[in-house]
Amino acid sequence: MNILKQELRMGRKALVAWCISLIAVLSLFMLLYPSISDQLEEFQQVFQSFPIEFQQAAGVADLDLSSILSFYQFALTYVLLAGAIQAMNMGVSVISAEVREKTGDFLFVKPVSRNRVISMKILAVLVQILITNAVVFTAALILVTLLSTDSYDFKLFTLVTMSLLFLQVFFASLGFFVSVFLRRIRTVLPISMGVVIIFYIIHLLNETLKDAKLGLVSPFDYFNLSEITKNMNYDSLNLLLWFVLVGLFIFLTYTLFARKDLPSI
Amino acid sequence: MNVIEINQLTKYYGKHRGIENVSFSVDRGEIFGFIGPNGAGKSTTIRALLSLIHPTSGSATIFGKDCIKYGSEIRRDIGYLPSEVFYYEHMKVREVLNYSASFYDNVDYRRIESLSEVMDLDLNKRIDDLSYGNKKKVGIVQGLLHEPRLIILDEPTGGLDPLMQQKFFDLIRAENQNGATVLFSSHILSEVQKLCGRVAIIKDGTIVRVENIRDMQKHNYKKFTLDYKGIIDVHHFNLEGITNLTVNENTLHFLFKGDINRIVERLQGQNLFNLLVEEPTLEEIFMHYYQKEDQP
Repeated sequence: MNILKQELRMGRKALVAWCISLIAVLSLFMLLYPSISDQLEEFQQVFQSFPIEFQQAAGVADLDLSSILSFYQFALTYVLLAGAIQAMNMGVSVISAEVREKTGDFLFVKPVSRNRVISMKILAVLVQILITNAVVFTAALILVTLLSTDSYDFKLFTLVTMSLLFLQVFFASLGFFVSVFLRRIRTVLPISMGVVIIFYIIHLLNETLKDAKLGLVSPFDYFNLSEITKNMNYDSLNLLLWFVLVGLFIFLTYTLFARKDLPSI
Repeated sequence: MNVIEINQLTKYYGKHRGIENVSFSVDRGEIFGFIGPNGAGKSTTIRALLSLIHPTSGSATIFGKDCIKYGSEIRRDIGYLPSEVFYYEHMKVREVLNYSASFYDNVDYRRIESLSEVMDLDLNKRIDDLSYGNKKKVGIVQGLLHEPRLIILDEPTGGLDPLMQQKFFDLIRAENQNGATVLFSSHILSEVQKLCGRVAIIKDGTIVRVENIRDMQKHNYKKFTLDYKGIIDVHHFNLEGITNLTVNENTLHFLFKGDINRIVERLQGQNLFNLLVEEPTLEEIFMHYYQKEDQP
């Protein structure tokens, strides 16, 4: 437990900064809603005047701005993107920090097994992801409730918002795997930003192509918000794929790290 | 009983050699020196003992248990001080030491205070405000606070001023008298000479020899300095057992190992100005191990 405590302590400041940023992004978009809700028709028309490919790439093809929840989805897209970067950042840095900051010679000569260190670090990231999600969920709930003029579907709100949790868990576990797979990591942010943005671009591309196979590549497609709205549930194949991949990444993290040589300083 | 037993330990980093067939053992209660120049494989051996790296072949046991298999269990009783110390930058010294202590059972937290007092370490400073030498002191305290039965020191004295070095050596000696076994790696021979009973000498990844420091100095080698009046005939001393032969104007230096009468015979009829026979320092013996291959 001491490692968990230490990790949470060290991640404290970054966590607060990320939570504030995520709330800021969400609020920024959501607060636009009252001012444009009067002119929704016009907005819709502006979007529809664009070529369909552009609409799809911008994620506004299926956009129906008539309800608060569909506007919320539009705003949440950016929170998902930022949240994915946050999670991947934590995933990549939590283990590699010991090598980057050269503290590995401190931690790994203590009487704890490497598996236990990894478990505690994964647990620490999970706790931080849960905190982030609780904060975002609460903020989103307040915003949506305050801004909505009619009642809205709470189940759909929950499903849509929870996709942040699934995406974050995915990118965090991908981050763990990447950090033990690469020999030496000097800086974290370029890796996590790069990977997340590539997946996001694949997702945007697939908004246009609508290719079923390509849809299996990007986790952003697993939790496609307009699909969730249509079906009122997550896609079970995608959910299974998510589960298998997260499991695989975590399994590989343990096995690769157990065999890894810690470079001397 | 052997506390450390290393058996044919080999480590390759890809094609790059780390160590090759390293074997030696350290008895309980001894202060064992481990010397060799930088890059000879001292740290590689030590990192394998701590299961920070995995050996390519061979094995090592500590307290009779395999280093890799029982790593976490063994490490309860090991205190380790690396040559370069790094800690969590934003933490205070006290916090780092408490964190370190939290990994062990039954730690006497007063030891943190008493050790820090001896080493003159300010517990309330932040790690990133510390000088190199002060970080080293944090390393010493965190390596000793849980009263380890085995202390592994990897070039520990860098950054410590002579006074602190002395205090540090006193600490190590005191721990040793209380029953701790010490593995002391260094490339500074005088400090090994001060502290250790036996040494293993490592060169290019292989153990050249394991020797008793006393034997090494007293019984084996003599250092000769011959001042000549006239011209020096170097070939006159073309004799088995002579090493490190150097000529400097009218002065001839060499180390000799063997029957001293052989030298006395050779000295007959030499036109000498002065003759000096001394105990060689460990440095000089040591240089001989390293230069052996380069010299005829």
